[in-house]
This record gives sequence, structure tokens and C-alpha cells, in this order.
Amino acid sequence: MPKLVIDDREIDVAARTKVIEAAAQLGIWIPRFCYHPALGSVGACRVCAVKFIQGPVKGVQMSCMIDAQDNMVVSTTDEEAVDFRRHVIEWLMLNHPHDCPVCDEGGHCLLQDMTVAGGHGLRRYLGKKRTYTDQYLGPLLQHEMNRCIHCYRCSRFYQEFSGFRDLGVMRSANQTYFGRYENGVLESPFSGNLSDICPTGVYTDKPSRFFGRRWDYQRCPSICINCSLGCHTVASIKYREVKRQEARFSEAVNGYFICDRGRYGFFYAGLEERSRQAMVDGKEVPFDQAVKVLKEKIEEIGRGQGSEAIACVGSARNSIETQAMLQHVCQLKGWANPSYLMDRAITKKVKSAISRLEPELVVSLRQVEAADFIMVFGADPINEAPMLALAMRQARRDGAEIAVLDPRPISLPFRFTHLPVVLDDLSLYASALIKTAVGRDAVKELGQNATEFYDVIPDVAGNSYPVKEQISNLGEKLRSSQRPLIVCGTEIVRETTPQLAADLALFLRAAKGQAGLFYLMPGANAFGAGLFSRVEDSFEKTVEDIENGAVKALVLIENNPFWQFPNRLRLKQALDQLDLIVVFDYVNSVAAQKAHVFFPTTTLFESGGVFINQEGRAQAVPQALTGGIPIAQTGGGDHPPRVYGLGISGFEARTAWQILAELADLELHSEEKLRSKVWNWMIETIPGFAALPPIGELPDDGIRIELGAQPSARFSMEGITKGEDLAEKFELIPVEWTFGTEELSAHCECLRDLAGKPCIFMCRSDAEDLNLTDGDQLSIELDRGIIEAKLRAENDMASGTLVIPRHKDLDWQKMDNGRALVPKGRIKKIT
Amino acid sequence: MNFVLDAQEKSLLEQIKTKLPEIGNDRSKLIPVLQLIQAKLAYLPAEAIHVVAAHLDISPSEVYGVATFYNQFRFHPPGKNAVKVCLGTACHVKGGDIILENFERKLEIKEGETTADREFSVDRVACVGCCALAPVIVVGETVHGHMQPSKVEGLVLRARIEKEKQEREKQQK
Ligand code: SF4
Ligand code: SF4
Ligand code: FES
Ligand code: FES
Repeated sequence: MPKLVIDDREIDVAARTKVIEAAAQLGIWIPRFCYHPALGSVGACRVCAVKFIQGPVKGVQMSCMIDAQDNMVVSTTDEEAVDFRRHVIEWLMLNHPHDCPVCDEGGHCLLQDMTVAGGHGLRRYLGKKRTYTDQYLGPLLQHEMNRCIHCYRCSRFYQEFSGFRDLGVMRSANQTYFGRYENGVLESPFSGNLSDICPTGVYTDKPSRFFGRRWDYQRCPSICINCSLGCHTVASIKYREVKRQEARFSEAVNGYFICDRGRYGFFYAGLEERSRQAMVDGKEVPFDQAVKVLKEKIEEIGRGQGSEAIACVGSARNSIETQAMLQHVCQLKGWANPSYLMDRAITKKVKSAISRLEPELVVSLRQVEAADFIMVFGADPINEAPMLALAMRQARRDGAEIAVLDPRPISLPFRFTHLPVVLDDLSLYASALIKTAVGRDAVKELGQNATEFYDVIPDVAGNSYPVKEQISNLGEKLRSSQRPLIVCGTEIVRETTPQLAADLALFLRAAKGQAGLFYLMPGANAFGAGLFSRVEDSFEKTVEDIENGAVKALVLIENNPFWQFPNRLRLKQALDQLDLIVVFDYVNSVAAQKAHVFFPTTTLFESGGVFINQEGRAQAVPQALTGGIPIAQTGGGDHPPRVYGLGISGFEARTAWQILAELADLELHSEEKLRSKVWNWMIETIPGFAALPPIGELPDDGIRIELGAQPSARFSMEGITKGEDLAEKFELIPVEWTFGTEELSAHCECLRDLAGKPCIFMCRSDAEDLNLTDGDQLSIELDRGIIEAKLRAENDMASGTLVIPRHKDLDWQKMDNGRALVPKGRIKKIT
Repeated sequence: MNFVLDAQEKSLLEQIKTKLPEIGNDRSKLIPVLQLIQAKLAYLPAEAIHVVAAHLDISPSEVYGVATFYNQFRFHPPGKNAVKVCLGTACHVKGGDIILENFERKLEIKEGETTADREFSVDRVACVGCCALAPVIVVGETVHGHMQPSKVEGLVLRARIEKEKQEREKQQK
């Protein structure tokens, strides 16, 4: 532990800490442009110069390049160092266009701050400035190369850290250029981070261009709810509108960065078409009147059919408060037990994932970076949870081996082994892989069940897998790994796969003393949804109950089944059978348009709330704004409102849980009281929530809900049966894409063009068998209708599988459940 | 500026394409491949950058990034009249930069570039060894000493008139 003195203060730091970091630990902020904790040092900008007075190095040196060592005495305020830094700024500013007034970075620009702080106030250089041509980089970022100070942060982030190659450094010396070879949309779904890390205004946020300076915004910590990871963000609000999101550092979750779906996926909150008024039969009415009407209607149905005929459906985007209140109110009123997740299979998978996240296995997103062997079972990181791909890349950069078992054509920004297996064989291959690396003796400590289980699961030897050799090679490497990790999806996999993943993780842990387990879940608060759901409850069951007449009234709480229910026609017919449809939502969805009674709810920006991410981390989001229609809309452009009235227009929205409370006549003395009442009720009644602190006291990185180990759930044999023989049939699986399939971000104009065109993926050899070629327009005849889209033939995917992204522009909802079997003869080329 | 490849260049590029497999597609082959192309075509057209990127399976930005790092690669075809303006010490002192600027303005291109009709290219060089004549330019093989802005005008005009004359003669034949 080197001990050194910086500015007369002593500090002990870990070995290999750079002096710039050691100073930061003392609270001394040494100027920097090129240094970034996530990207490391390169010594490119020279602005972190400090004076080394005593010790192994002497003189003015770069604090980001030198490791702290014993006996060092460092001064950051030494005259020579200060003068050096001032000159560095001066030369970095030589070519700068001095366009701060029209630069969106102005106000949060590191270069601006350093120029002023460094004491370089007057321009002495009178020569010609170098200029560059800017590029079109797509809808998310604006490029202004003249402002560049050549710190290399962008290319290091883009290429080294995130693994994409289409943006980088070109030319040399005085002409060094950062950009693409030619104009074009950036390929990386992490490109938005460039606007955060560029210390000047070369890359600025395009959708919020020219809208305000940082100090004009109300800035509020928030989290992203566009997938189950729950990355940390900062929301910037101006004129009643969320305008921009930036990444917020989180030690446990996302580190310094976020993905573009998260960064730009918030525009649903300020859409003009968002309904802001309560409505009864399509007519706007005052809020209280809508509540009154609804109460009457519900009472009437209750009298006629019994209160069980009222079914409520929450969702994976509800806050925990809403989910809990829903449960509470349904119990109080004797309504049917609420459901939260779309179908039986997903409910089962999410619930088993939750119960199998044993404390010794669970890892956070940040801990993924430390694994040295990652096996992915049925998950597509870049499409389902983009930041997971970034974390896996960091592991890979440290030498981790990565194997993905998934039928889809998987693309990741690093080298990995893809075993394109059909879903039915996934558990076979997964078991075989683990068995090659874990001996029978190792699992004995887990008990009789474990050894029996071990004996039953297949190994490589007994079967003639086409990928047998790959499995044994990987197994070899897995055997020598020390920190293996299993990542398991819950969307497309078979119902038993999450269980098996946990069992295999236990085997690895027994053999190596350490192993991680990381699930992905279908939605920001799918974990909460899973906790509140009973195994038998799902929206699928609700639909059946509607069909058999048991349910007469449906209350959809921030849920739009039209987005994802696999059989749209059936859904429509079921809804037509109802006496009453009630929708609470903040997006103007198809379901909302069908509602007899509609209540506008608040977004997480307007109300805050607690969300539990896929590893069980309960994270609180504070309220960022009070709601209301953005001024840009009430005033027609950025003019102040033209119509004056009392109150804020569009302010009617309330949190979903408040509206529920009103329906149940819970006392509404104050919002805060009510909120803590539900919270306490939740802590008392839901196992697993007991460890939560009182509301409002969750730490910034949240608290992991620990459900404890459940030995009885381990090693159940049901997971290892081989699936049905599909013979001449294709299995069609609807899947998620980074852009264009997730409901909230699909409302964002700036992301529209980033989603690819709707298509159907098929293995190239299958396509050849059927005489089809890449680009053919296909028609696939299902029992519930025909799906038409372009064929994309891929080499690297499972034969016998058809993959359809649930693209918002594709009419894919024609299946009985989350998958369909298609005989070969039903796949045709449209000519 | 993007130049359209002429017929000869196109066939050369096709030839090069057929040779690429022998060279192999390891990343380390990037510079040899670029050198090969430049040796045949005298510059690296945009098409070639894409050919190389596809062959080595890397992004065009990477190819361009490496190619532009070195001084040896050109991205514009040499003009029929290749103008080299000397900016060595003597010529610099005698206002060589003014001469360069005159060419840039007259031809509406920047140094290192070529006019769209490929008649002229302008480059800067350092000392061509006849400092007594400063400021000096070299057009093709011919050295022009004691340059002045008015001479720039004359040179360009002469070359253009010459070209028009040739074209007329061609038509008459
Ligand atoms: S563009 Fe920005 S991040 Fe990239 S080198 Fe220039 S100043 Fe640094
Ligand atoms: S990875 Fe998921 S949670 Fe994180 S920023 Fe992207 S969409 Fe949001
Ligand atoms: S921060 Fe140290 S040289 Fe740039
Ligand atoms: S400096 Fe121009 S010829 Fe020597």
C-alpha cells in the first residue's frame, strides 16, 4: 500500500493507483481531459500535470500516467505545474472555434471549465485555425469536429470499451480526425455515451439540441425502465418536459455508461398524443366524476356477477407501489387475484428465476465484468439488455471465455463461441457443458439429490451432437476457470431452463467455490411482477376467464396487452365480450382507446417509485417533475401558453396506486402517508421485502431483495426431459430487438430509424432446402393467420427455427402462445 | 471529392481483387494491400477502401484511419498537370504560401487534392534544390522559378487553352 503526500496531506492507496486517482480520494480534483476512470490513462492531453517534489520521480509530470509510490511528495498547486497547465490549455485552445454561445456543451463543458479555471482568458494566437468537415452521424448525435481537443476518449470508448469499429481516429498530427469513414448512422447502440464522455462539444445530444443550458434544466437522478437491468440515469427537465437523459454512475449496476435505448427511450413521457384527461366512453370528464362513474359500474357488475368478475392486470412496468396497492385493493374488495405477466410460461419462468436467485449465486451487472467464463443460455444480450453486452465485453477484454447457447443469430461486440441450438436441446447442451467441467465428486457436498441429478443429466459422451467437439473444448476451458458465470434468459427459453441454469450454477459453485447466476427478465419491474403473481395467475388466464364468462370487467393498469399478447384476434374478441374495460396508463395505447373508463397516470419521472431489477435490486426513483403538458405543446412551440386558466393543464394524472386507493376508498389524507402505508403493508405481507428500509430510505444503489436459498426447489428432474420431436416443423419464436420492439422506447421518434426493417430470420441451409434466398418476401401460414415479411438468411442460427423480431411495424400476433410450430409446407415465397 | 473510376482504373481494381485471396486476410496485411493498390492506381480511391475493408473484414474507418496516418498514401488521383509548390525555407520566406494559396483559389481545390476533371493536382513539397529561384514550383517535370501570383494565372490558363485546342483538333479529325 503506497503512502504518499499530496498537497501536504498524507494518503494510503491501493497498489497501482494513479496519482490522479489518489488525489481524487483526498478530494483534490486534478484537471483532466483524456483520463477517464473507465477508459484508463493515455497521457494525450497533458493537462493533468503536477509537480513531483520528492520521491522516485521528480519534476512536472502527468499525474494520470504515474503510479502512486511510497515517499512521493506531490504538489498540484506548485507554480511551475500551474503555469504548465495554463499553457496546455492555451495550445489546446489554439484551433478552437470559440463558438461556445452556439454550442450545446456550453455550461457543462469540461474544456470551458478548464479554460476559465486554468487562467487562460485571452487569446494570443492570431494565426489561421485548422478546420474540419463535420459528419452526419445519425439521429442521436450532432458532430462538430472543430471543437475537438484530441483527447482520444471517443475512439477509446467506441472501439476499445464498447467494441464497435465504425467510428475512430483518422489522419495524423495536426489533422487528426475523429469520426466515421463517411457520413452515416453510428452502428453502436452505446453511441450516446460519446456525448457524455467527450470533454468538449464535438458530440452533443441531438434530440435536445438548442433547447437549454445545463443550468436551465431541473436535473434529477432516475433509472431506466426500458429493460430489466435498471441502469442509472440523470433526467434533465425543462418547461415541464423531460428533454435529455445522461448516464449516472452506479457502482453496482451500469458503471459509467448506459445504452441508447435507455438514454433516448423516455420520449413517451412528453408525447402530444398522451392522454391527460380522465375519460368515460371516450369523453373527457373531471377526474372525480370518472372515479364516481367507475365505482358505480364496478358495484353494478359486482352485484350481478359477484366481485370475482372484476379482474385487474398490472404489468412489469408498474412501480412496486402500484403492484402492491393492486394486490392490496383486490384483496380488500374481493376482486379476482390480479395478474401481472403476459402468459403462464413467462410467469412460471420469472417466478422460478426469482426463487432460484440464491444469495451465494446472484451477481450484479458490474460483477459480470469480473467473470472469467460466461455461459449464456437462451439470452441475446445486445437485444434484450444492451448493457449486459457491454459488461460481458469488459470480461472478455480481461480474457474471459464466452459461450452463447441460443437459437437466434446472435451478434455481440466481442469474440465468443455461438452454439446455435434449438430451444429443446438447450438444456442438453448446457448440462453436457457443465458436466465436462465438473466431476461427480465435486457435487457430492450438495447432497443425494444433487448426485442423482448429476447422473441423469446428459453428458457429451452419450450423444452424437454435431457440436460435440465444441462442447468438449469449451468444457476444457471451463474446467480451468475460476469465476464462471451463467447468464440465463427468461423470454424464449423453455419453462424449466431457468431452474436448470440455477442447478448448473450450483454445480459450478461446488466445484470451484464460486459461481455466478444472472437472469434477464421481461421488463423493468418483472421481478416485482413475479413476486406478486401467483403461479397460476397470468393475463393468459384472465383471457380464458373472460372467454368462459367468469370475468366481466377488466382493469388494465399500465398494461397494453395489444403490444405483446401473441394472439391479437383472440384478445380483441375477448375484450369485446366484456361489460367494462378500464385502463390506467400514461401511453395512449390501443387498449386505452378501447377503454370505457380511462385514467391518465403519471410516468416515473412525474411520480417516482421503486423498481426491482432482474437481480432483485430494489431501486428508488425520485420524482423529477410535477407533470402537466409540456409548455412547447400548450404554447404551440416555445411561446408561453396562450390560454390562461387555473392550475397546470394536463395536471390531472395521478399515480396508478393513488387511483386504485381512491377506488377502494382508502383514506387519502396525504399522498405521503398513503404511500408509506402501502409500503408497510407490503413489507409485512410479502416475503422477501422484510429487509427493506422505510420508504424513502433506499440507498442510491438500491437494496437487493434476498429470498434466501430454497433447497427444496433445487435439482428437480422435470428440466431434463427432451422436448417433442419437431421433425418437419419449424419453431417460430418472436423475439426482442434493441430498438423497435420494446413498448416505451418504440414511442421515441429519434429511435425510429434505428430499428431495422421487419424481417424473419431463417438458417441459410434451411432456406436453401426450401429454395428460398435472402431478401425473398415470405408468407408464413399460421393457424391464426398469415405473417408476411422479408427473409433474412443467416449462417449462424439454429436450423429448424424461425425468428421474428416483434417489430412494431409487423403484424406478428397470430399465434396461440409465445411460439408456434410451422410445417415446412406453410412457408412460401410471395412472388 | 469522390472521383469516378475510369475504365482502366476499374479493370485494375478488379485485377487486384482477384489477387487479394493470395495475400490473405489477416489484419497485418492491411498496409501491404494498400501499398499494392497505390502502386497500381497511384492513389487509393474510395472504392478501394471498401474493397480492402471487405477483404480484411474490418470497418472502412479503420482502413482509412491507418491509410491516412501515413504520408505515403494519396486519396486523390494525380492530375495531368501535377503542381508541386515548394514551401522549403527559402520559398517560404519568399512567399511560397501565397503561391500555394493562389493555386488553391484558382483551381478551387485544397493542397493534396485534384480538380474534378483531373487536369490539376496541387501538393506542397519541401525544397526542390534551387533556392536561388525561390519561390519555386514544379509542374510535371518542369521547374518554374520566381513565381508570382500573375504567373499562376498564366500557367493555369495556358494549360486550359492547350486542352481546349487538343479537344478541338480531336473533333476535327
Ligand atoms: S471528439 Fe471529443 S472525445 Fe473525441 S478526441 Fe475530440 S475532444 Fe476527445
Ligand atoms: S441496458 Fe436496459 S436498463 Fe440499461 S440503459 Fe439500456 S435499456 Fe435501460
Ligand atoms: S489527463 Fe493526464 S494527460 Fe490527459
Ligand atoms: S526552398 Fe524552395 S527550392 Fe529550396
